[in-house]
Amino acid sequence: MANPMKIRAANKDGVTEVKVLISHEMETGQRKDAAGALVPAWFITELTAKHNDKLVLSSEFGPSVSKNPYLAFRFKGGAKGDKIIVSWKDNKGDSRTDEAAIG
Amino acid sequence: MFKFSSASFCLRGTKTLLVFALFSASTAALAFDNFKGVGRPATPAEVKAWDIDVRPDFKGLPKGSGSVEQGQELFEAKCASCHGTFGESNEVFTPLVGGTTKDDMKTGRVKGLSSGELPQRTTFTKVATISTVFDYIQRAMPWTAPKSLKPDEVYAILAYMLNLSEMVPADFVLSDKNIAEVQKLLPNRNGMTTEHGMWPGAPAKKGGIGNGGVPDTANKACMKNCKQEVQIGSTLPEYARTAHGELAEQNRSFGPVRGTRTLGPEAAKKAADAGTLELATKSGCMACHGIKSKIVGPGYNEVVARYAGQTDAEARLIGKVKAGGQGVWGSVPMPPNAHLKDEDVKTLVQWILSGAK
Repeated sequence: MANPMKIRAANKDGVTEVKVLISHEMETGQRKDAAGALVPAWFITELTAKHNDKLVLSSEFGPSVSKNPYLAFRFKGGAKGDKIIVSWKDNKGDSRTDEAAIG
Repeated sequence: MFKFSSASFCLRGTKTLLVFALFSASTAALAFDNFKGVGRPATPAEVKAWDIDVRPDFKGLPKGSGSVEQGQELFEAKCASCHGTFGESNEVFTPLVGGTTKDDMKTGRVKGLSSGELPQRTTFTKVATISTVFDYIQRAMPWTAPKSLKPDEVYAILAYMLNLSEMVPADFVLSDKNIAEVQKLLPNRNGMTTEHGMWPGAPAKKGGIGNGGVPDTANKACMKNCKQEVQIGSTLPEYARTAHGELAEQNRSFGPVRGTRTLGPEAAKKAADAGTLELATKSGCMACHGIKSKIVGPGYNEVVARYAGQTDAEARLIGKVKAGGQGVWGSVPMPPNAHLKDEDVKTLVQWILSGAK
């Protein structure tokens, strides 16, 4: 099971800004290890974010995204105390969901 | 003559501090007997103002406490604009947090540093003493207003950073009482060696902190056929002096290190007329803006070029300086400057728009 994401969300003037720090290896599948063998690809393929039950962000990630990626986005609406739920799936079938309240 | 007096000043300063450290205030005058008529002893208040260092054994640590939650708010307000909300940003400085594992906390040695797994070093992969981080925040942060944080605020910000690096839980309260416990968790606490010539005393194995005084370099003192005087091997050729503009303006405008003036006496005269520049330096502007060059924020020449011919530029810029902003010049935000006086902001903006000389 992967490490939890760090999520912060804040509403200002009717716009909610969400910042997420994801903990993931994001291995491209192009690198070789010390013995010269390819390191198998291991990266997030899909990431979604919900505001309470409503989908506000849906994205496809790929091997070009860095290790432990940082993601920030904004959407209109949201109020203090609302839930922000972020989930990802990776190419090995692992997934993780974390949530935070808008502060 | 000048050289002599400045050297003796340094010497005396050192002695005074030593005396204060050893015997406290009253005997300080004794140290001055050799230097009659030059300088004066530092007053206890002056020494107290200088003496803010926090040492690895926590000598000098102020009393106080701060929670992760308070730290998060302070960090968002005062630190995140450069360091990122999670201390992860690589935009202005190297990241504060990241690269450490639970295992490192057990061993006290960050494995990623030697295995090459780390994409980049961070503060917490390197630092071996938590007192150093406390001292640094208290002494030098925030960049635009150093020494403005109260001890409780420094504790809170440090608590938040410790939580980000997964050393302490989210409900943790850091204080002068439990900071020693945190030191025992620091991922790279065993990563520092003092066994080299920079440290005095016996080797660490024999209970000292140095390597027994063996120099780190292989230089030998010359005893015969030595050179009689210093020979300058090479200098910047005349045609290349201006290749990078005025070097003096590209160095920080405070502290002892200045660049040489490369654009000649005329430019030097202009620099002497620097009343507003001083105000800008004092207000923290020059930490991020150059007059003719981008540092973190845009150079003032770029600002002038962008707002040229706009009649409301002055009013708009005054608003921007006070409220801060982001996006116009890239993603690094400018912090708000509500603490500056209105007339100072006006003077600064007029100075900038008139070409900032």
